[in-house]
Amino acid sequence: MERSRNYLVAISIVLLLLLVVSIVFFHYKAYLLVSLIMIACITIPFFVRFEWREVAGREIVLLAMLAAIAAVGRVPFAGLPSVQPTSFIIIMAGLVFGAESGFLVGAAAALVSNFFLGQGPWTPWQMYAWGMMGVSAGLLRNAWWMKSIWGKCIFGFVWGYLFGWFMNMWIIVSNVEALSWEYFLGIYVSSIYFDLAHGLSNVFFLAVFSASWIKILQRVQRKYGLLV
Amino acid sequence: MGNGIQSIHPFVMFFYYLFVGFYAMFFNHPVFLLVGCFALVAVNLTHDRGSSMKQWLPMMVGMTLLIILVNPFINSRGTHVFFYFRGKQVTLEATLYGVVTSMSLLMILLLFISLNLVLNGNKILYIFSRILPKTAFLIMLSIRFVPLLKRRLTEIQDVQRLKGRTIRQGSIRNRAKSGMAIMQILLAWSLEEAIETADSMKARGYGTGKRSPYNPFRLTKVDRQWLVYLFVLFIISVIGGLLGYGKIIIYPKLGTLHLYSLDWVVFASSMAIILFPVFVEGREQLKWKYSA
Repeated sequence: MERSRNYLVAISIVLLLLLVVSIVFFHYKAYLLVSLIMIACITIPFFVRFEWREVAGREIVLLAMLAAIAAVGRVPFAGLPSVQPTSFIIIMAGLVFGAESGFLVGAAAALVSNFFLGQGPWTPWQMYAWGMMGVSAGLLRNAWWMKSIWGKCIFGFVWGYLFGWFMNMWIIVSNVEALSWEYFLGIYVSSIYFDLAHGLSNVFFLAVFSASWIKILQRVQRKYGLLV
Repeated sequence: MGNGIQSIHPFVMFFYYLFVGFYAMFFNHPVFLLVGCFALVAVNLTHDRGSSMKQWLPMMVGMTLLIILVNPFINSRGTHVFFYFRGKQVTLEATLYGVVTSMSLLMILLLFISLNLVLNGNKILYIFSRILPKTAFLIMLSIRFVPLLKRRLTEIQDVQRLKGRTIRQGSIRNRAKSGMAIMQILLAWSLEEAIETADSMKARGYGTGKRSPYNPFRLTKVDRQWLVYLFVLFIISVIGGLLGYGKIIIYPKLGTLHLYSLDWVVFASSMAIILFPVFVEGREQLKWKYSA
């Protein structure tokens, strides 16, 4: 706990310095750069914890497999636009295996699927958004409302929007000088349909399939004593 | 074509992409950015004669045009007014800002197209395996599983189709449902298999000692020379940029677009960075044609 607080203090100082530097030297131009560094600062502790922890071979392979399944999940749904099970699988991983595993599966799934679909400036944002989806699912897994099917559905629906809103940010940040309420609203309005589809497909999958997926994942977890 | 750049060490290429990415976000003189875009197009042409650039063309053109056309109408800052549109002023500054922003984004996109071609999965993981070995290993495993899982998916889909469960027909609800059922079969199958993979890794000694990676890349003398070349030019351009060269003042009032002699120095050194893959390729061609 002590160490993580030190980290947070150090990071906030670094971020403040970066903002000052970006305003003084870059004339408000480097928001994309600063935002990427912010994302890196937030995600690094997760990766570092994973590096330092004793991880059994089975656990690494299991996490890699889950990330690969989440990334491949886009394939059978290619015929259904903006319906993809990736978010659902990441939420499942977070629910069963905890916040850190959820983060790793989410971030790795984003990175791996982009190796096949094309990397771009959006990759770190996707890694962050899906990673945080896994983290939040892991952190909330013991909340009373998360145990009910309704709670899970609301969680999935909210994340459908949060993910879309967050992915809009990279467009806004890369053109921040043009920021006005019309521009901001225009981008968010144009994504409403996609976010709605994302949220609704999350709800559908969570309502119909979450029980059986949790059962399958928990069986593996108990049988081999992994990631408990 | 494109063999020359593939033989350059990944670290050199990593710094190249870092520097050019920085360049695209750092300078905002329209001439710098426009020529930078053309230089990156040339770089992409040397990779594969521009065939992967073609796939991204609609997106690049669409995004550039959108920003250039939309920016002056939603942003009314600036003092040089062209005309009034619905009571809002359309200014030279906002138009120019749209051009600069779109050029900078276009450069980043072009850079990523080149990166996807040159620093392919293996090489990028080689770089990260030095910094985050376990994470890089996880990603590498995961990438390896993707083609395997795709093969399994076709197998499962074939069997399920015989049972009448398909993603191609029916209501959206049913299609999504059968798609997910297929994913569930894949999950149950692959998790068991993953444990087996892990056990066979353990049997071969995974985790018994320090991981020793196979190193397919060697930093040669040529690589070191290129690295020095990139660093020296980068430092020149950054110092020039910090002194204000290669940059213009857009808001609140457009400054001069005139390029001074030192601007040209910064310009030349940054172009020399961006065109580095072209030089590598050209050197190979010359060697091929004229060496004894």
